[in-house]
Amino acid sequence: MNKTQKSAVFYLVMFLLWAVLITYAFLTMFVITPKVSPTWTLLVPFGVIFVTSIFWVRKKQSPAEVRSDERDDLIKKRAVIASFVSAWILLVVASVIPAVIVGDDGSVPVILLPAINISILMITIPIYSIAVLIQYGWRGKDGEK
Amino acid sequence: MAKSEVKNSIRRLRFDNGEMTQQKLADATGVTRQTIIAIESGKYAPSLPLAFKIARTFGVGVEDVFKYEGEDS
Repeated sequence: MNKTQKSAVFYLVMFLLWAVLITYAFLTMFVITPKVSPTWTLLVPFGVIFVTSIFWVRKKQSPAEVRSDERDDLIKKRAVIASFVSAWILLVVASVIPAVIVGDDGSVPVILLPAINISILMITIPIYSIAVLIQYGWRGKDGEK
Repeated sequence: MAKSEVKNSIRRLRFDNGEMTQQKLADATGVTRQTIIAIESGKYAPSLPLAFKIARTFGVGVEDVFKYEGEDS
């Protein structure tokens, strides 16, 4: 894998860890009472994964390996377009759904708007990563022989 | 990515040049090994500057490395 592929995997893993962390935070707030400190159950393993991933991303295929080339730039450009278009589609859908559910005279909590915007911003990260990985070929092999 | 209409002889040239590895060619031309793999398998058509760099690495002309096989060729 080159640096662009590794970075895409890194962003995807970090997004998944963030999603697990947020889910766990919601569960401990409203559903379960944790017996062990969240620091030891989640933050420490996540920290280890983060540091290990950084070293893995920075490791070069060869001493002369370039950071990115013309094909990487093209792939990244297409991935940005894919995540941008997806963000707009999600924004429109997420804006229409509350109106459909509560109706014209209904009301929604004010916090819903920033929550929708932040969620969509976060979702663009895995969309970008997946778009990059798909363009390189399934499992990053890209026809390697 | 779709198959390119530009065919190439990179694999043959690599073997003619002392079985040069894809990584060595990538390092010599300033691209990643994945890009060399994609060019070699016809999945990606390189830019003109990169095509010239690859040809120069082998010490041949661009047309000795790349051939256009589109409809009007």
